[in-house]
Amino acid sequence: MKMKPMLKYFINSFCFLWISSVSFAQNETIDTSNKTSTESIIFQDKYGLRFGVDLSKFGRTAFETDYSGFEVNADYRLGRRLYVAGELGFEEKTTKTDYLDSSAKGNYFKAGIDYNLYNNWLGMENLIISGLRFGLSSFSQTRDRYTIYDTNSQTWTQIQNNESVEFSNLTAAWVELIFGLKAELYNNLFLGFNVQLKARISEKLPDNFENLYIPGFGRTYDSSKVGTGFSYTLSYLLPIYKKDRVKKDDSEDTEQPLEE
Amino acid sequence: MNRISFLWIFLLFIACEPDDVCSENTQTTSRLVVEFFDIGNLDDTKTVGGLFAIGIDAQGNEVEISGESVSSRDKIELPLNGTTNQTQFKLYKNYSLINDVVQGNPDVITVAYTTSPVYVSRACGYKNVYNIQGFSIETDSDLWMVNADIIVNDVTNENETHVKIFH
Repeated sequence: MKMKPMLKYFINSFCFLWISSVSFAQNETIDTSNKTSTESIIFQDKYGLRFGVDLSKFGRTAFETDYSGFEVNADYRLGRRLYVAGELGFEEKTTKTDYLDSSAKGNYFKAGIDYNLYNNWLGMENLIISGLRFGLSSFSQTRDRYTIYDTNSQTWTQIQNNESVEFSNLTAAWVELIFGLKAELYNNLFLGFNVQLKARISEKLPDNFENLYIPGFGRTYDSSKVGTGFSYTLSYLLPIYKKDRVKKDDSEDTEQPLEE
Repeated sequence: MNRISFLWIFLLFIACEPDDVCSENTQTTSRLVVEFFDIGNLDDTKTVGGLFAIGIDAQGNEVEISGESVSSRDKIELPLNGTTNQTQFKLYKNYSLINDVVQGNPDVITVAYTTSPVYVSRACGYKNVYNIQGFSIETDSDLWMVNADIIVNDVTNENETHVKIFH
């Protein structure tokens, strides 16, 4: 159906705008004592491990009859704007057309970095993310039914094959470009949304068939190796340590490591 | 913000799913292409007047070929039966129907082949590709065909002639 993907993207746009308007001031330690001769404010950034789940996959599992999936994500802050991040998931999707019924099932893993483009005020921890991922999937495809496409089948008979055939030990690899945002709703609890632009690097093809859907990558297109995806994430940050960030009134932020 | 709008537009285009339709230009199951040549001049094609083809099923009953009509031509496309290993056709020369009585000279040909399903695309699914194993003309008292040659064994498309019949 052509309406379904369009509707999904309209819903995405609304949520994107909604989330971007949500931000709560955080209760951060603010040290206003002067450390240098010019006026400056020191506040602290939280560093730690954040982990969460993809809510959109729960939603799709509940409302889409041909889909079930689950994804967990995690990220770890390396620097003021830099995070190392990854996702791990499982998907099963059935694709049916007039002439072909098949399903794909498997696991995937993505790893990469996130870069925060947003300048937070006074110790807030919101993010506008641009990120890169490398993704790998291990999956199998099952062809349940096909009908021979013959424009002259009215003469003899339409031929249908109902033998269920599984093509296993398939793999695929791809790279992703991610854009999104994460807003801290309550203390250390984040709500996020991102869109992914993917490009397939390699895949193992089943014999006399193709990979119609790759878990973690999404549906494949005949014309190109490109794919898209999106996630709604709910995640929780486990703070491990804090770093001072000194903000001078008349210059860029500089970082000074916290004395242990 | 321009970059983000571009991304949204790009994503919307991808979501429009143009490969869900099997276009008519896509080659799917091909018919057998038979071309008629002059037995006196083997390289020249020769028109068969009033050519009309009928299929014959395994029980010997006549099967109407969908889309087939009487015309004088030097080439005909015959649909093979994908559920069996051979198909028979009755090819009439000078076919006409007078007072519900069929007039003309019928010759029966038998095509033997193997069938393999080959994947096309997600919208079209699979097509059958035939490999011709044998082609014969049944003898009768008044044959208008003389003999036949298999030129191309793999029936994959209708742009080439698979069998030549000389008359």
